[in-house]
Amino acid sequence: MTLWRKIRKWILPRFLAPDEARDLDEEIGFYLAQETQLRIDRGESPAHARESARRDFGNRTLVSEITREMWGGHSMETLFQDLVYGFRQLRRNPGFTAAAVLTLALGIGANTALFSVVHSLLLRPLPVPHPDRIAVLAFRQKDAQLATQFSYPDYQDIRRQSSAVFADVIACQFGLIGLNARGQAGRMFVNYVTGNYFTTLGLKPALGRLIEPSEGIHPGADPVVVLSWTYWQSHFGADPGIVGSQAKVDGQREVTIIGVAPKGFHGLIPFLETQAYLPMSMAALDVNSGDYMHDRALRSCYVYSRLKPGVALEKANGELAVIGSRLAAQDPKDDSGIAISAFLERNARPDPASASVTMMAAILFLALTGLVLLLACINVANILLVRASARTREMAVRTALGAGRVRLIRQLLTESLLLALFGGAGGVLIGLWASRALSSIDLASVAVPLLIDIRFDWSVFAFALAAAVIAGTIVGAVPAVRASRADVAGVLHGSGRGIVAGRNRLRSVLVAVQVSGSLMLLIIAALFARSLYNAQRADLGFDPHHVANVTYDAQEAGYSAAQGRAFAGRLLARIRSMPGVTSASIAFAIPMGYWSSSSTLRVPGYQPPNGQTAPMAAYNVVTPGYFGTMRIPLLRGRDFAATDQPDTPHVAIINQAMAQRFWPHRDPIGREFTMFDDVKHPLHIIGIAKDSRIDNFSGPYPLEFYVGLDQNYVSIQTVQVRTAASPEALLPELQRIISGLAPGMPLSLGQTMTQAVQTLNGTLRYRISAMFAAALGTLGLLLAMIGLYGVISYSTAQRTHEIGLRMALGANPWSVLAMVLRQGMVMISAGLALGLVAAGVLARAVSAFLVNVSPLDPVTYASVTGLLVAVALAACYIPGRRATKIDPMAALRID
Amino acid sequence: MASERYQNRLELLQGTLDMMILRTLQWGPQHGHGIGLAIRANSGEVLRIEHGSLYPALHRLEKQGWIGSEWRITENKQRARYYRLTRAGKKQLAQEQSRWKRLVDAVAGVMQPSES
Repeated sequence: MTLWRKIRKWILPRFLAPDEARDLDEEIGFYLAQETQLRIDRGESPAHARESARRDFGNRTLVSEITREMWGGHSMETLFQDLVYGFRQLRRNPGFTAAAVLTLALGIGANTALFSVVHSLLLRPLPVPHPDRIAVLAFRQKDAQLATQFSYPDYQDIRRQSSAVFADVIACQFGLIGLNARGQAGRMFVNYVTGNYFTTLGLKPALGRLIEPSEGIHPGADPVVVLSWTYWQSHFGADPGIVGSQAKVDGQREVTIIGVAPKGFHGLIPFLETQAYLPMSMAALDVNSGDYMHDRALRSCYVYSRLKPGVALEKANGELAVIGSRLAAQDPKDDSGIAISAFLERNARPDPASASVTMMAAILFLALTGLVLLLACINVANILLVRASARTREMAVRTALGAGRVRLIRQLLTESLLLALFGGAGGVLIGLWASRALSSIDLASVAVPLLIDIRFDWSVFAFALAAAVIAGTIVGAVPAVRASRADVAGVLHGSGRGIVAGRNRLRSVLVAVQVSGSLMLLIIAALFARSLYNAQRADLGFDPHHVANVTYDAQEAGYSAAQGRAFAGRLLARIRSMPGVTSASIAFAIPMGYWSSSSTLRVPGYQPPNGQTAPMAAYNVVTPGYFGTMRIPLLRGRDFAATDQPDTPHVAIINQAMAQRFWPHRDPIGREFTMFDDVKHPLHIIGIAKDSRIDNFSGPYPLEFYVGLDQNYVSIQTVQVRTAASPEALLPELQRIISGLAPGMPLSLGQTMTQAVQTLNGTLRYRISAMFAAALGTLGLLLAMIGLYGVISYSTAQRTHEIGLRMALGANPWSVLAMVLRQGMVMISAGLALGLVAAGVLARAVSAFLVNVSPLDPVTYASVTGLLVAVALAACYIPGRRATKIDPMAALRID
Repeated sequence: MASERYQNRLELLQGTLDMMILRTLQWGPQHGHGIGLAIRANSGEVLRIEHGSLYPALHRLEKQGWIGSEWRITENKQRARYYRLTRAGKKQLAQEQSRWKRLVDAVAGVMQPSES
């Protein structure tokens, strides 16, 4: 303290404005000397004269401080003065400072965390030179949805014809491979990329070399692989010696590891972590790849382009329209009616068709957290208002001594900015902690590595700082202007109570806004919580209990389609012989799982209504026994059978929704339809299954059909086992069996069906949004209650005199309490009215994220309002109760 | 209770101090202490300038450009800061004086209506 005072008094002034500070000091010193001499001349003793002169002069520090204020011009110096003064003020009121900083830190922290997530997923540019010129290509065919997967021949045509607008065009397709290197087998999510991929993106290798333009042209050629930096770090301990070593893909093909991609580059597929890159030619390894380099019906390439410098997206789109019509004319069988367009990569995450929905969700949650920040700011404003009225006298004195109004406002703004900066610093800490917590949410073993690269980054910091500074300015401005407007004479001469009423009105309005904001947050939280509850209890149409799932990719063991079918048969036979197993089957997709597939259909006799797109349906590939394992009732017809073989007529089982759509008043069994992907094999309908959920928990059931694994082989398979015992206990056993039957296959993924339903595509997203909204709602409620409590306590304290008088005149404690509560109720009900309307508007905007609950659900609104009123009245009760304890005599004696 | 304060000394109207400082400096450059003494003496010991207001006022006036300052050596061989009236200060003083005179006349008119 003493050291601090020394610094403040002697060192800082010299450092900041050395000459003038020394001058002033000398000037005052001279004054004191003269005054002392004068008194000695009058006959006082020298010691007494010096003492009395000094006493009469008053507080030397204060005088020089105020005098220095007159210099004005040195803005750096005044700023520093303000800062030092502000620090001192904050330190003098530790309780106030802690409350304000904590409040702001929570508000800013929540915003930083969420902004980090949104930024890393949606806003962060690709880590390549000039990321703003990277565009993703998509097309629409006739009335179908916007699609992003092109055939390789189409990609080549587009690339050849678009050199006027694009520097280059690249393509990639993704796949899963098993990679055996240095004796360890691992499953990897990889991209097969065209040779110009890395050169077009402008990337340099972290190690070794990248894939080159001369590679990837002839199917099966160029057996090389580039590892991602992350995979190299985690699986090979960042060993530089890995470059040049051999590895085996899917247990059959030797490849050379040629290099490591740069740090921070995760591939172009949004939200996913690409672990290795292979030339496009190596995609031939995939059993389902077909003649992908020539067949225009095989659409598996994601196409990206780099715009030439100075070329606008519109110009590129004009060019692509021409190319599209050329493609349609040149190959009417596959490409008729194709219309191609480009989207800037950053505006098209995760894909151009759903980018707007994703952005909507992000904006919604940012708005909710922004609301929390607003509530926090209002709270701090309220605290500052209380302090401003406590400091009215100080302000008046400073004004009387000649401090300008602007100077006072600046002083107060500096103080609130200091608060905001401390709050911002705390917010960054909370935000870092929260985003780390968010990125460690277990997304429950999906097959593909999700990219959760949520990290502190400068733009997030800038956001938090901007939030803090804006909050500080808003929070500081109102009390500052009010305090500086204080009526000097009135304050100095009277008790200054006349100003209080107006200030209380503003504070009451602020509290009403807080109440409405927290009501909104709570209602949204309650709607999300009910959605989660409903999702968890929804009738899924299948029975997830007592089912164990183990997922593997038969291709990773090097199996062809025929080998894979044989393996599936052996596996099922082995599992069915296990004790406790009631049923076992294999499926490609599991409900709420990561993999799914759908196809455009051709249904004889069905005409889509005018303006509607060609019909699409989801489908699953299953083995006989699937409906028994999942307990999905087969309503009519028969299950798949061992007799349904690749060379017998292809068969399908459809769900009720599909039967209803295409054959409303007829019997579908025995009729047929075709998938666009496989026109050679019309599907004969052999049965109708009851509707069940695939990827949602409410709303109409999706159109779905099932085909047999033997007739429509896929290598990614999940074996599902229904057991009387605990399915968890069965998982390791199942994984052992699979490894035993298929040596060299990477470890399969085990999960119970109940767990699978709780993953990101299942209830987890509802759990995350419910938890997030609940956290925000609690925070908002807390802030509003602090605000309400503060205003009521303050005004009760202000009215001590009046309340004492009332009690002296015979008012009983109950009527005093009622009076305080009534004052609270006015603010609360104004807030509720505003909040209910706003919540209704907001809830409509989130209705897409709700499950089986109306956005205007009266029960939710009523119970949340009731809860809020109860808590709010409790917050008013405490100061009200204190008011009833006022001793009338003591209260009247105060003045 | 509050009125007790007024009995002992006259309170300066805002701006009056500035005017008196300018007026004092009309007789020639003077340091802060001297200005204080001069005002006290010329007011018949009625007006005691609060030191807390004198220096802020001096620096404020200097910033306005109405007075200038320089360091000189006094008769006693001490360094002191002397203030002097600038050209702008003279103009300002003239303005303030005429305004002051009008104010005094007006107040006098109110207090002694018979004479007018």
